[in-house]
Amino acid sequence: MAYIISDDARELLKDVKEFAEKEIKEQVKAYDISGEWPKEIYDKAIEMQLHMMDVPEEYGGLGLDHIDQAAILEQIAWADAGVAVTLNGNGLALKPVLIAGNEEQKQKCCDIIVNGGWGVFALTEPDAGCDAGNGKTTAVRSGDEYILNGRKCFITNAQVGDFYVVTAMTDKSKGTRGMSAFLIYKDTPGLSVGNHENKMGIRTSVTSDLVLDDVRVPVENRLGEEGTGFITAMKTLDLARTWCAVIGVGLAQRCIDEAVNYAKQRIQFGKPISSHQAIEFKIADMEIRTEASRQLVAHAIRLSDLGMSFGRESAAAKCFAGDSVVQTALDAVQILGGYGYSREYPVEKLLRDAKIFQIFEGTNEIQRMVVGRSVISSH
Amino acid sequence: MNTIVYLETKEGKPLGGSLELLTPAAALGTVTAVVAGVSPEVAQEAAGYGAPVLLLEGELGCDDALVAALEQVIREKHPDLVLFAATQTGKDLAPRLAQRFGSGCVTDATAVEGDETHKVVFTRPAYGGTILEKLALTGEGPMFANVRTGSYSRPQTGAAAPVETMAAAVAEDAVRAKLVETVTEITELVNLEGADVIVAGGRGMVDAEGFKLVEELAQVLGGVVGASRPAIEAGWVSRAHQIGQSGKIVAPTLYIACGISGAMQHISGALGSKYIVAINKDEDASIFDVADVGIVGDVKEILPLMIQEIRKKNG
Amino acid sequence: MEILVCVKQVPDDYVEVHLDPASGTPGVSAIEQVNNAFDAYALELAVRFCEANGGSVTVASIGPESSQSSLKNLLAVGASQAFLVSDAALSGADEGATTSYLSQLVEKCQAEHGSPFDLVLCGKESTDEISSQVGAMLAENMGVPFVSSVVEVSPCEGGLMAKQETEAGYSNYQVTTPAVFTIAKPNYDPRYPTIKNKMAARKAKIPTFSAAEAGISTQTNRVTCLGYTEPPKRQAGVRIQEKEAAEAVNKALAMLADAKVL
Repeated sequence: MAYIISDDARELLKDVKEFAEKEIKEQVKAYDISGEWPKEIYDKAIEMQLHMMDVPEEYGGLGLDHIDQAAILEQIAWADAGVAVTLNGNGLALKPVLIAGNEEQKQKCCDIIVNGGWGVFALTEPDAGCDAGNGKTTAVRSGDEYILNGRKCFITNAQVGDFYVVTAMTDKSKGTRGMSAFLIYKDTPGLSVGNHENKMGIRTSVTSDLVLDDVRVPVENRLGEEGTGFITAMKTLDLARTWCAVIGVGLAQRCIDEAVNYAKQRIQFGKPISSHQAIEFKIADMEIRTEASRQLVAHAIRLSDLGMSFGRESAAAKCFAGDSVVQTALDAVQILGGYGYSREYPVEKLLRDAKIFQIFEGTNEIQRMVVGRSVISSH
Repeated sequence: MNTIVYLETKEGKPLGGSLELLTPAAALGTVTAVVAGVSPEVAQEAAGYGAPVLLLEGELGCDDALVAALEQVIREKHPDLVLFAATQTGKDLAPRLAQRFGSGCVTDATAVEGDETHKVVFTRPAYGGTILEKLALTGEGPMFANVRTGSYSRPQTGAAAPVETMAAAVAEDAVRAKLVETVTEITELVNLEGADVIVAGGRGMVDAEGFKLVEELAQVLGGVVGASRPAIEAGWVSRAHQIGQSGKIVAPTLYIACGISGAMQHISGALGSKYIVAINKDEDASIFDVADVGIVGDVKEILPLMIQEIRKKNG
Repeated sequence: MEILVCVKQVPDDYVEVHLDPASGTPGVSAIEQVNNAFDAYALELAVRFCEANGGSVTVASIGPESSQSSLKNLLAVGASQAFLVSDAALSGADEGATTSYLSQLVEKCQAEHGSPFDLVLCGKESTDEISSQVGAMLAENMGVPFVSSVVEVSPCEGGLMAKQETEAGYSNYQVTTPAVFTIAKPNYDPRYPTIKNKMAARKAKIPTFSAAEAGISTQTNRVTCLGYTEPPKRQAGVRIQEKEAAEAVNKALAMLADAKVL
């Protein structure tokens, strides 16, 4: 099954599928080995406007339904999860701007993306991962400017960013209520990027430290009021988790497709292993998990579109999709047996790509915390 | 039945594929072979295949002029059937003339047979070669068809038939597309149609370096290099080597397909081979369904060993 | 330059077509209809020409009403308008009849477009019937210059220069307009649509005419299909699957020697 989308979106999805198969799927193999950022793939994706699906129509965006967007992002993730993470990075960076920014800020950031630029969301710090409120980055007011100092880590697209949404403490004494969010543009003095992480998976996505050394940011670049940065970040993550799950589902679907193709042609004991019940059941479980993840995503999107509260469902989708894709990738490796463990075959990469889905955009432990607290407090 | 066979020429010689047409034409009745732009000696030589030859003289260096000249011949000779070889030229001339005469036209015929009811029944492949159509033509003018090279063998030479010469009067306004230049980029002689052994490579050869293995194996076997479309499009080898729907139709004794998955568009051009060997690492590749011997393995491993073994045997 | 590209919908040629056992005709009903690949190349070539030299590209097709969907997809990749003639009376046309209908459709499109076309393009062949006739016949019917297997078109004094791919290289032809070209595979692929263009194109309405509305009168076929067969199948032979490549090679060479084909 797949998302239920309009006929027109289905036609668009065919183009995206062709793009994913012809321009991403095979090309990423070499980049997965080298760890190089595949600019040529992203240039083509930008040409097709796959990088700007989160720009609202009124700011020059595409006006896609969210469920259509999910189907498209899933298709890209099917070809390569890292590419989907990079493209989705723009959505992640735009969300806080759209949540807390003023008209001018929104238009400026949307323009940057529409013109082929990249946005970056920088929240995580070496000592503030799950505990984002414990950030050490500071912003000190000085006349019409803030002076930012600190270090962000594991920042997607940091090396290629054109604008950055950075959280920093404007008043440490107030805890999470002392956090503010700022827009910083590329080439601002004092803003630099650390080495990019040599990651286990999603190696086509670039991840690095972002260093702030006396970065002067005009007051008008603050997103929302002072002290609202943490709330903005949490709202951003509520939304972002759903999209993280979308990517996980695409990756899981790829695991299913690779495993089924292999199982149908691999003959053991005189018949294809797909007709052995042990394999059949494994494939069934892969499908059940993946489809359940997809429907959790669809439900979270629907709630959000209806303006209803969706934080719990978004966290549930991310958590379930993250755990599911790891198990589904493990199952795919198991079905391919020795070939599954070989770098000559595609599923080894899928397993490496899968693990991050239990970690980023809030570990699955955090997601369970979100869901658990929400359930308990509403009883 | 009266048939005109257009003998297409290349570098002043009739193409083998058009000489073959004399065979089905003779089986249907009387034949006139029409040839343009060759010396009287070459026309005389062509008459050695048994059909009277009509040599067209004049400025006939482009399709537009040829169409006009052939139109004139057909109006004078009233043939029932006009045959061309299914070359690029034949595929251009036949439908243009058919349209001028209000006739039906068949492309890529593999058989042209007499029939009591329909006069002639044509067989031709469609859908990439998975389906054969049997066609009959009606209409005001003669029937037109171009015929795939290799569908018939050329007749034996014997007593020379007469050669008649005709001056083609091509009106000035008949040439609408002016040929400015013709550039030959592919100078190598690739005789796939006449080859006894063909070694063909496809996408599975991975890169130009890999494709060299195909060339090396062809060389040690004294064969000709063939290729499927992906190898041509990747630029590993010139399109003169292409086998299949948009390339050559071949029928060697031995056909070795290396890293070719076996898409119908390609394999339909090689199904006439006596013995097919396929080497592919994808054990599911459809090329194995038509291969007499299928080796499941990496071409980059198999080919060097095969080349080495054959070299040993050759001494 | 005003360009018209004639487009045919064909069964997706990635799918192998076989005879439907019940009807004995090609079993294509379950295969998705797509724009013929060479027609898509023709559109891309036309759009690139107009991007460089000005002008617009119109696409036209004769086919079932469902062809509207494929035509909309062409609006997303550079065609500025599309016309469809959909009429059961025109189905099953042979190449000659198709040519007649197309030349009448060219007239209709010109009237709708408001200005004559300088250039009419067709794919060099369709991937279903592969008869490679309609472009040539259309040029004859319109009485205009014709060049086949064109891969490049550029403006030149007095008209157009067309680069024709040939078996041994290429030829350049100079023509006056209007002209008809058939298009082979250029050394580029058709573009992907942008999402915005795609979604806008999907909302477009494709003007669709009956034969009468388009001023098309029917013509009798000159080609009759007497029947279909499938070519004899080759039997799959021996499969060699060895751990050691050397062993596989030895086995294979021994078999070739036995079959006396080496």
